[in-house]
Amino acid sequence: MAEDVTMKTTPLFISQSYLTTESNKTGSWRFLRPRYAEKTAPCSAACPAGEDIGRVEMLTAQGLFKEGWETILRENPFPAVCGRVCFHPCERVCNRGEFDEAIAIHNLERFLADTASRYELKPELEVLASKKQKIAVVGAGPSGLAAAHFLTRLGYKCEVYEAASEPGGVLRWGIPSYRLPVKVLRNEIELIKSVGFSIECGRRLSKNFLREAGERYDAVFLGCGYAKIPQMKIPGEDLPVVADGLSFLESISRGENLQVKGLVAIIGGGNTAIDVARSVLRVGGKPVLIYRRRREDMPAFDDEIAMALEEGVDLRELRTVTRIERSGSEYLLTLQQVEVAYLGADGRACVEPVPHKTETLRVEKVFKAIGLQALQDWYNPPDEDSGSLRLANSVLIHANGGPAVVYGGDLTNDVKSVVHAVASGKEAAIALDVFFKEGLEAIPVRMSQCVVGMGPSLSMEIYVKGPRCQRSSHIVLYEEINADYFQLSPRIVEPRLLREERIQSFAEIDLKISANLAIKEAERCFNCGLCNQCDNCRLFCPDLAVKKDSESHGRHIDYDYCKGCGICVVECPRNAMALQEEN
Amino acid sequence: MDDVDPTPTRVYPCPTVSEIEGAMKKVLEGSHGVAEAVRLAKVKVISAYPITPQTHIVERLSDFCADGSLPARFLRVESEHSALAALIGAASAGVRTFTATSSQGLALMHELLHWASGARLPIVMAEVNRALAPGWNIWTDQTDSLAQRDTGWMQLYCETGQEVLDTTLQAFWLAEAVNLPVMVILDAFFLSHTYEPVDIPAQEDADRFLPAYQPRFMLDTANPCAFGQLAPPNIYMEMRYSIQQAMDMVLNRFGEMEEQFVDVFGRCYGAVEPVQCEDAEIILVTSGTITSTCRQLLQELRAKGERAGLLKVKLFRPFPTEAIRQSLGKAQKVAVVDRNCSFGAGGIFAQEIRAALCNLSDGPQVYSYVAGLGGRDVTTDLLDEIYRQTKKQDCCPVESIWMGLREVSYAT
Repeated sequence: MAEDVTMKTTPLFISQSYLTTESNKTGSWRFLRPRYAEKTAPCSAACPAGEDIGRVEMLTAQGLFKEGWETILRENPFPAVCGRVCFHPCERVCNRGEFDEAIAIHNLERFLADTASRYELKPELEVLASKKQKIAVVGAGPSGLAAAHFLTRLGYKCEVYEAASEPGGVLRWGIPSYRLPVKVLRNEIELIKSVGFSIECGRRLSKNFLREAGERYDAVFLGCGYAKIPQMKIPGEDLPVVADGLSFLESISRGENLQVKGLVAIIGGGNTAIDVARSVLRVGGKPVLIYRRRREDMPAFDDEIAMALEEGVDLRELRTVTRIERSGSEYLLTLQQVEVAYLGADGRACVEPVPHKTETLRVEKVFKAIGLQALQDWYNPPDEDSGSLRLANSVLIHANGGPAVVYGGDLTNDVKSVVHAVASGKEAAIALDVFFKEGLEAIPVRMSQCVVGMGPSLSMEIYVKGPRCQRSSHIVLYEEINADYFQLSPRIVEPRLLREERIQSFAEIDLKISANLAIKEAERCFNCGLCNQCDNCRLFCPDLAVKKDSESHGRHIDYDYCKGCGICVVECPRNAMALQEEN
Repeated sequence: MDDVDPTPTRVYPCPTVSEIEGAMKKVLEGSHGVAEAVRLAKVKVISAYPITPQTHIVERLSDFCADGSLPARFLRVESEHSALAALIGAASAGVRTFTATSSQGLALMHELLHWASGARLPIVMAEVNRALAPGWNIWTDQTDSLAQRDTGWMQLYCETGQEVLDTTLQAFWLAEAVNLPVMVILDAFFLSHTYEPVDIPAQEDADRFLPAYQPRFMLDTANPCAFGQLAPPNIYMEMRYSIQQAMDMVLNRFGEMEEQFVDVFGRCYGAVEPVQCEDAEIILVTSGTITSTCRQLLQELRAKGERAGLLKVKLFRPFPTEAIRQSLGKAQKVAVVDRNCSFGAGGIFAQEIRAALCNLSDGPQVYSYVAGLGGRDVTTDLLDEIYRQTKKQDCCPVESIWMGLREVSYAT
């Protein structure tokens, strides 16, 4: 030992190797195999138009606003409209809602569309090779425009007929401009048309059109919507004081300078009734909304009801109007009080009158806004089933060798919403494409191949075999998100006009958000099931078995060295990977 | 160990107050003395996790990193285990590294303490002696560092603020000389949080004593290699022997290092410091700040004509057996004061000193005293009591004698 401690060099004997460890391959003992497996975000499956929301927010967070906007347009040509008026079922199922608050998806959709409009961007959307078939679209409402837009992109020639002086349907004449400014709608319709179809306005078609259509067209899409309010069948209904709510909204939309004074009764509980009530408030009246069931049974969207009450609309639930009569310069409404008898299968109340409980209401004007109907009977799909195919949001009829006829829009949809109308237009376009190529029988199978998640929402991008078709239909659960990677941060507060400002005019209530706020909000998105190139899988791999490359994922797993430990899958914040057993 | 080259016979005096006052000095907290030395050593990577009473050290270092006075990378980590793991990586890349910890933090590092020495990485750590829980106690106690005595780290116990600063600088010299890690150990609060006048060396002087680090091996992307692979039975033992050889070598290199330190700074401390041991019949053995208290007692005892002596042990690993034999061999009795305990065996310094002396013919009896655990004061009165008991008792007990125990009642 003595010689060791007096030596000049430091005793230093360590294991050190210059040999490569690349010869040490995993071999056969891995029993689990990680892989990149993008999945379906719950929001995109809940969106009737199947918008690729997780990806839209990812692009927005990266400042790629044009790409984000185009990603919406691939599935829904109406982002400026839907960003404003959609009831956003996507936000209700947002996984972030279980963590803190759902992403403000509709605000971001509107932001992207407004930004595109502000910079006059032109979308780069693929239009497929032109086909020989020609399609007539009847009605330039949201369903008709969506059908024409998607059919044109699939390569078909479309001609759109519109009875009114301007396209837009309910968007133009039904939805007041405080929710959807006319300028925004016109701009969006111009973009929708720019894929290559024309609209003939002021052309009301007769029932004969369907009979003769076969001579000029291979198919017809009918998206005529509601335009008529039926009779309530009560005494006094025909008095001049009783007006049609839809016509009232249309007059305002045309720009007529209406004045209403005093108490105004609005009968109904749908979105039209709410729109009428809020419009009455803006032209000087005091609206009283009379609804025969409870507030929670109203078909109008919750947000709309809440805004109406906030603005000062007086809601009288569980009342039916039994009589309208003149009383001096005013009119007297007799209201029968009703009560809940039982709850129907849909959870809504069924009511019955409470004996001897009536009250009267003195009003200056009455608007009916109940049980909307199609203007003409032939707009509705026929009842018989022969040669017909009932789809989620449309009905396709092909009988007697004539042209295929697809009925869509509000007249075939269970939920009467803009986004459901868009969904029916898209569904019709895909159905007709399959019909022309493979026949009626092939439609259900082909449809099932392009659903988002479990359906019924369809994806045009999946249908045309875009990159989205590589994702699995599994809808990501909140438990599958690695929430450790996210910090609590509140949802943006939607900037709005003050209540006092709102009721002064028809100015848009919801205000713009800045790009900075939009990016911050988009960054909150979990991007459920989607890879955003965070690189965690590569950084955490203990075997350096995740390699960067120029492929679509940006990286791949080198299974020669992967031990199947699963760390990459666990550390993927967004559940864009999966672990499967080796065969 | 008999044929080991002995530690240097030259014994250096502890600096006197007047010597310190003559220098360019500042009133400095002990923790900040460590930080100043790390700055002067131009450490490149620091990684640590906060724990009382160590936190002031790394707080000051993070200030230095933030204000640019120390161009080092400060790695924030989630635990002491990770702190040392990070430094093992950094030191493997061939840079000077530093960490600091205490008590539970050191215990959490245990696995990696072995790795750092086995990998022969000259990492320096400031270890602030703090009692281990439970019950929770943040005050001084040496059991935390002594529990790590077999991990292959050098251990240097300090007595004063100046010694803390100087020893930290010296630790880099020693670590890099033999490729082994070093713990610089200081008492919680008595050193870590106490302000003393301290000479902060000029950078040029520090550089003269501690030149830039020249690693003997390092990771090099141009010539890739791997460290720490499988070492089968036919080779492992030789690797361990090489660590033992390096530790033995420290006993030599320590003296060489102190000579260089004296040349630059004019002060040094010695691996052990015998005070009036030549003619002493009873010698008290201490470490850390108890030594200062004992110096006072020693003056009082000598004034009364007692033939008492004091031996301060600074270097605990490697254990300076030969120097201890020289200092204690001629005494009749030795009283070792341990602020620590190995349960079931007793005071740890006492065990080691007994082992060092046991083969001497006619060596002194070694009395073992446990005192001051968990930061309880060890006063001159208590040390005097130890001295008296040692003097009075002719028969030296095998077990440790616990000093100053209170009567307590507790549920059984």
